Amino acid sequence: MTAALRIARAEWGYWRHSRLLLAALAVFGLLLAAIAVLSAARIESEATRRAAQQQAAEQAFTTQPDRHPHRMVHYGHYVFRTPPPLAVFDPGIDAVAGQALFLEGHRQNSAAFAEAPSAAGVGAFGVPHPALAYQLLVPLLLIALGHAAFAREREAGTLAPLLAQGVRPGQLAAGKAIALGAAALAMLLPAAGLAVLAVAHGEAPAIAALQVLLYAGYLGLWVLAVLLLGALLPRRADVLGALLLAWLATALVLPRLAASHAVAAVPASGKIAADIALLEGLRNAGDGHNAADPAFDALRRQLLAQHGVERVEDLPVNFRGMVATIAEERLTALLNEAAERRMAQERAQSARLAAFAWASPTLATGIASRALAGTDLAAMHRFQREAEALRFEFVQGLNQVHAHALRYADDIQRSVDPEAERRTRVDASHWRLLRAFTFEPAAPAARRDNASAAGAALAAWLLALALGLRFAVARLRP
Amino acid sequence: MAPALEADALTIVRGGQPALRGVSFAVRPGEVHALLGGNGAGKSTTLLAFLGFLAPAQGSVRVEGADVGADPAHARRRIAYLPENAALYGHLDAYENLGYFLGLAGLRAGRGAIDAALDRVALAAAARTRRLEAYSKGMRQKVAIALALLRETPILLLDEPTSGLDPVAIDEFNRLLRELAGAGRSVLMVTHDVYGACQVADRIGLLRDGALVGRFEATPGARIDTEAVHAAFVARETA
Repeated sequence: MTAALRIARAEWGYWRHSRLLLAALAVFGLLLAAIAVLSAARIESEATRRAAQQQAAEQAFTTQPDRHPHRMVHYGHYVFRTPPPLAVFDPGIDAVAGQALFLEGHRQNSAAFAEAPSAAGVGAFGVPHPALAYQLLVPLLLIALGHAAFAREREAGTLAPLLAQGVRPGQLAAGKAIALGAAALAMLLPAAGLAVLAVAHGEAPAIAALQVLLYAGYLGLWVLAVLLLGALLPRRADVLGALLLAWLATALVLPRLAASHAVAAVPASGKIAADIALLEGLRNAGDGHNAADPAFDALRRQLLAQHGVERVEDLPVNFRGMVATIAEERLTALLNEAAERRMAQERAQSARLAAFAWASPTLATGIASRALAGTDLAAMHRFQREAEALRFEFVQGLNQVHAHALRYADDIQRSVDPEAERRTRVDASHWRLLRAFTFEPAAPAARRDNASAAGAALAAWLLALALGLRFAVARLRP
Repeated sequence: MAPALEADALTIVRGGQPALRGVSFAVRPGEVHALLGGNGAGKSTTLLAFLGFLAPAQGSVRVEGADVGADPAHARRRIAYLPENAALYGHLDAYENLGYFLGLAGLRAGRGAIDAALDRVALAAAARTRRLEAYSKGMRQKVAIALALLRETPILLLDEPTSGLDPVAIDEFNRLLRELAGAGRSVLMVTHDVYGACQVADRIGLLRDGALVGRFEATPGARIDTEAVHAAFVARETA
């Protein structure tokens, strides 16, 4: 057996001897396992519920009776953001961003919570998820287990006889690192279990493996930090104080400071303010319910000229349907432009936040973790874009039915003539134009690329700490 | 033949202050050499320099002729070191402590060899399977001495080896040291104990404020004169 392995075994023996450390190991292990099980059950149940709700919404739309197509434009449709498989490990924005979006004509609504219980995780006492436990709690366990690794030997006077047996400082550090690293690996077992579960639910194995590797790197980083400060500082109280300070600064304070800085540095108007700012533009685009709106004069002239007729009543298409189509197109362009502006602001905030990843490995890990899981801001934006594409597609499909399946004369008389009203009800089979919606995670390569910058920050931290430890250990003296 | 240990104009600086100032001495093979001195005289610093834990600011330290700074691993292979206060692991018993340290030194010793070493230091058999946290200081010291014996190195560095031992155990320890020296092993011990040093040492160096200020040597058939050493020690310390 090598000296490093002997030292690692001796370290484990010391932990076994210390009831406090044994209890800490057991409590953290049970806590992680419990969080993993609860999170898996909660996210799986959410996924099943939202998939069922999506089906129910589609069925409700397509089984509507014969009616005027514009009534279906306002009847609207729901889409649900089903959590990706790795959300069992890192639900990311799932709990704080809406999961359901109501799609209807002339509007882009904000996402809402699919069900009341879905919002339970938003509060300060929400259910902790495994990623958060790994980011915040497991480093504390590593600090508890490893802070005295060198200081204990120094204080007990055993460092000198250890080194005097011919053990090199590097071997001593390697032994301590193996002991602490093994504890970190043992703590990763629930994460590995969740990764396997995610793969069973369709996650790409490479991404699941990368997620586990990311957390192995993060915990490895804490192992190095614990040993580095342990080698540098003389007393265990100093080491413990310095490590807790480092944890507080990098895991708690910096991420919150970074978020505050991002919000202050990139002011974002928000959905409601953006909607109010849009009002004038929308007024100029014309009211699609009013064919006499001057905003559609050019459309009228163009259609009359195109078909060589004098009156809209003589057009081979329903002018009202054409107005609804063009109005939706103009309005959607304005709404999309505003939405892209808002998303750009959110991305800019996110980029500001990500810059702090170089200062906080916890932040770097969180960003990379959400990106790999597909539960980050990019996923939310993709959901909004995909939902909007579906909204525009079915609203315009209905507007086309309005323009081509209904006579203009019936359309303008339907509020006063019951027969005309009956004739403007189109066959319910038209509602099948609604495309089925499923929100899938982004491609593995895209998620990997999204995680790469934060992953690079983490790797830089690992490298810096490894070099620092090597430097400190080379100078380790009794 | 090269001396087992040799310090040549050795100067060590610790925390910006000189801990040793131009100290020169040598320990011959088979010799028991004691360094006497008060607190802060530089006794333990000297031992740490021979182990390569402290680099000389000036001068050199050599083990069996090899420069320690150039090859500290060689020095540590040739030396068994008994630190002050017999630093061992309280949560392990005597067998586990000895097994662990010997393993780290790349040695294997069976239960029989360990028992033989513990017999030589007179550690009661019933105590050997008890954790060291329940040991008295003297018992821990015996385990540490047993480790030094089991290493079977040609050189022993002992830091206050009789501290905590009762008079009977001190006598036994001194006999053991003479026996080891008789078998050709070289011993450098640092101590406050003038009487003990005179009982066992072939030569004594007197350290004060990091400088070697007195030397005494036993003559054939006679030990070093305790009164003379004591007088020099007290005079130096109160000067």
